[in-house]
Order: sequence, then C-alpha cells, then structure tokens
Amino acid sequence: MNRYGFRQAARMERIKLGSVRSTWWLAIAAVVSMAAAGAGVGLGYRSHTPVATAAQILNNSLGGAIVAQLLLGALGVLMVTGEYGSGMIRSTFAAVPRRRTVLAAKVAVCGGAALTVGLVASFAGYLGGQLAIRGTAIPAAALTDPAILRAVVLTGVYLGATALIGVGIGAIVRHSGAAIGTLFGLMFVPMIVAGLFGESGIQVGRFVPLLMLLNSIAVTSPVPGLFAGWGSALLMCGYAAAAVLCGGVLLRHRDA
Amino acid sequence: MIELRELTKRYGGRVAVDGLSVRVQPGVVTGFLGPNGSGKSTTMRMILGLDAPDQGEALIGGVRYQDLGWPLKTVGALLDAGAFHPGRSARAHLSALAASNDIPGSRVEQVLRVVGLSDAATRRAGTYSLGMRQRLGVAVALLGDPGVLLLDEPVNGLDPEGIRWIRDLLRGLAAEGRTVFVSSHLIAEMALTADRLVVIGRGRLLAETTVAELAAGGDSLEDAFFRLTSEATDYRGVGAS
Repeated sequence: MNRYGFRQAARMERIKLGSVRSTWWLAIAAVVSMAAAGAGVGLGYRSHTPVATAAQILNNSLGGAIVAQLLLGALGVLMVTGEYGSGMIRSTFAAVPRRRTVLAAKVAVCGGAALTVGLVASFAGYLGGQLAIRGTAIPAAALTDPAILRAVVLTGVYLGATALIGVGIGAIVRHSGAAIGTLFGLMFVPMIVAGLFGESGIQVGRFVPLLMLLNSIAVTSPVPGLFAGWGSALLMCGYAAAAVLCGGVLLRHRDA
Repeated sequence: MIELRELTKRYGGRVAVDGLSVRVQPGVVTGFLGPNGSGKSTTMRMILGLDAPDQGEALIGGVRYQDLGWPLKTVGALLDAGAFHPGRSARAHLSALAASNDIPGSRVEQVLRVVGLSDAATRRAGTYSLGMRQRLGVAVALLGDPGVLLLDEPVNGLDPEGIRWIRDLLRGLAAEGRTVFVSSHLIAEMALTADRLVVIGRGRLLAETTVAELAAGGDSLEDAFFRLTSEATDYRGVGAS
C-alpha cells in the first residue's frame, strides 16, 4: 500500500473516540438512564390495578431512550465539533487530507460504537423492567417473542442512527453548543408541531423521530397510522445518511 | 522542497496572501518572517491543504499536499500549540495520528523521548503548560520522520532553554538534508536559527535573502527588517508622549 485509506483513518478515529472521557461518560449514562427508566416503570406497575400487560411494561420500560438518544446524539456531535473547538481538526486533516475519508471513518467508528451502546442500553431498559416486576402477576415479556425482540433491537438501531445524525449536524454546524442545540431542537420541536395538528398530525407525526420512537419503534405493535417498526428505523437511518451527506459536501469546500 | 506559485488567498475583500512565489530549499533552515497579520499562518495552512488558495498552488516535492500518499511521512507540521483535544493524553494523541499513516507505535515513544514528554505522556494534554504544548506539537511534526518540516511560530511560549532546544533541533534536521521552513515575527531569533530568509508583508514577498545579506547593509538586522516591512503593515503606533 502506497497510500493511506479508510482503514488507517478508521484506526485513528477509534483511538480518538476511546481516549477522551466524555465518550465513556456518555455511553455509561445512556445505559444507566435506560436501565433506571426500565426499573422505574416496572416498580411503578407492581401494585398497579388492573394488572399490567407484558406489552405495557415493555413499551414503557424502553422510554429511557428519550434520554439515551440525547446522550448518544451528543456523542456523535462531539466526535466532530470537539475537534473544531480544540483545533484538533487541523491535525486530523493534515494527517488525512481527504476529508471525506475522515468523515466516513467517523461515521463507521461512531456508528459502530453507538449501535453497540444503544443495543446494550435498550437491553438494559428491557431487563430493568422485567427484573422489577418479578414475583408479581404481571406476565413476563420474553425476548423469544419476535415482537418483543424487534422492539428492543430497533430501539438500539434508533439510538445508533441518532448518533450519526449528531455526526452529520456536527460536520454542518461545527460548534459544540450550537450543534447539540440544533440536534435537541430537531428531536423535540417537530413533535410539538405535529401535536398542534390534532388527529391529522399523524400524517406528519409518522416522520418525526421521537414519535416514531415512542409509538412505532420501541413498542410491541405500532400505533395505527405510523410506519411499522422497521420502516421507522430505516427512516431514521435515512435521516442520518442525509445529515452526513450534507456535512460531507460542506466539509469539502470549507477552510479548516 | 516547497514551492509556492502565485499563491493567493482572500478573506472577503481583504487579501491575506497576494501572489506569493517562493522556493524553499532542502538542507538549510529557511526563516519565514513578517509582522503580525502579514499572511504567514495563512500561507502555512495553504501549504497543508487546510485552506484552499483562491489562485496559485503550493507544491511539496512537486505534489499538492492533498495528493500525498503518506502526508505525515512527507511533511511534519507544527501549526499552533493547540491542535489537540485537551482531554486526550499526549500518547493517545500521537498514537491516533500515527495510526492514520501506518506509523509504528514504537515511533510514538521515540518522539515522546526526543521532545522530553515521556514522563508526562499519560497526562491530559489540556493540563500542559504552553511550553509542553509546543513540545507536543513538535512531536507530532517529527512523528513520520518527514523530509519537510513546517513550523509556525515554534518558539512561542518557550523558555530560553526551550528556544535553544528548538534551534538546535531545527539546525540538526536541516543538516540531515531536510527542508525546514519556520515562521516567526522575531527577527533576532531567526538570525540565530535560519540560514535563508523569506520576508513578507501584507501577503506580498518583500525579500528572499540570507541572514548575512540582510545584515550587510550596515545597520542592525532589526533595523533592516523594519526598513523592509515599514510600508507593509496594516497598523502603526506612534510614540507615547
């Protein structure tokens, strides 16, 4: 090999991601917040009448993903803006002048890490809920049930995609605070707007990330009017791809 | 060898670098002198492909930086003493950059020893003093054992011992046949470090000379520098009265 390529850039990004504390804190916080939300939901339902259904427990115990998506989204943002804020980006581009190779490496490394953390966090939410209802009359939700497994896995995929949306927004905005603000705004504002349309809001709402999460992805059966879980998760991946592509186009032409 | 051909950069309406054509030869230390804001850093960034020139080009051994196969093994650069993430240790910073150009981990330890940061290598770089940051920057520049070195104000923030260390290091690297291009606004320091001088003001080439030639005018090197650049600054103070 007489030239660097994606493999070298990915190794660089892997070392960079693992060697700052914020990565580990955000990952741990994402898992803990989902586990805690799951356990909280389970405990809350223990003495609930009528007795909760397995689907109720599962749907609600994955609710910690609302927090986890912000944490992993911030992880993705910081992977880019952390470099602009510190000047590290100039060292990075001096080492790998082909900027889209750098972005592709960041997407691969961040996406892989966030998907892994997202799946662990999602499973922790599920497990937290299940452990908290042990010894009650509430039926357990088994991962062998395809609907249950799908919800847990897709929630992890959703979280991974959120991190990549963060990478894309980071590359577009380049400033940590502004990029995280933009990401949070994109997560919450469309949901509020969709709510203003009342019943017909579902036509818009099925494209809104947070509504997809709560009503299609992290539930055993999607609310009518929304896409199926897989469809919503794919749409999230599409949003991530669009954000990253925008970032890639801008990255190429701007001075570092 | 570094070759700048009619290199031009504008920011909005202001011309930062204006048709700069220079050849920087190997085997000697070439000082890049100019007042603050004269376009030294912008030129350095364009050589590294970080800023895109509006006109002209910068070539390293005949190749644009973006087209280098192993950039860090060809050009080592010290851009500013903050081009690292403050939360990352010096060793992790160097290891990440080494990985990007297939540079072995043993070389990371080697450059840490050369710049004297071995004992502080696990500390977060944000806790370093300015002098230590400069040393980390020099370690990055040396990482790929490059034939061309580009240093933007390397003595900034260094104590007298550090300044002498940089001077000896640069002269040693040039003596090995490397191309060494060092920017500074300190004429006295350049007189001790550099053999050749490229002087710019307001982005234009004012002189391509040697330290000996510049001093041959009879007056001090400092006076000669002021004479050259007096018409080419964007600011001017008057004597306090």
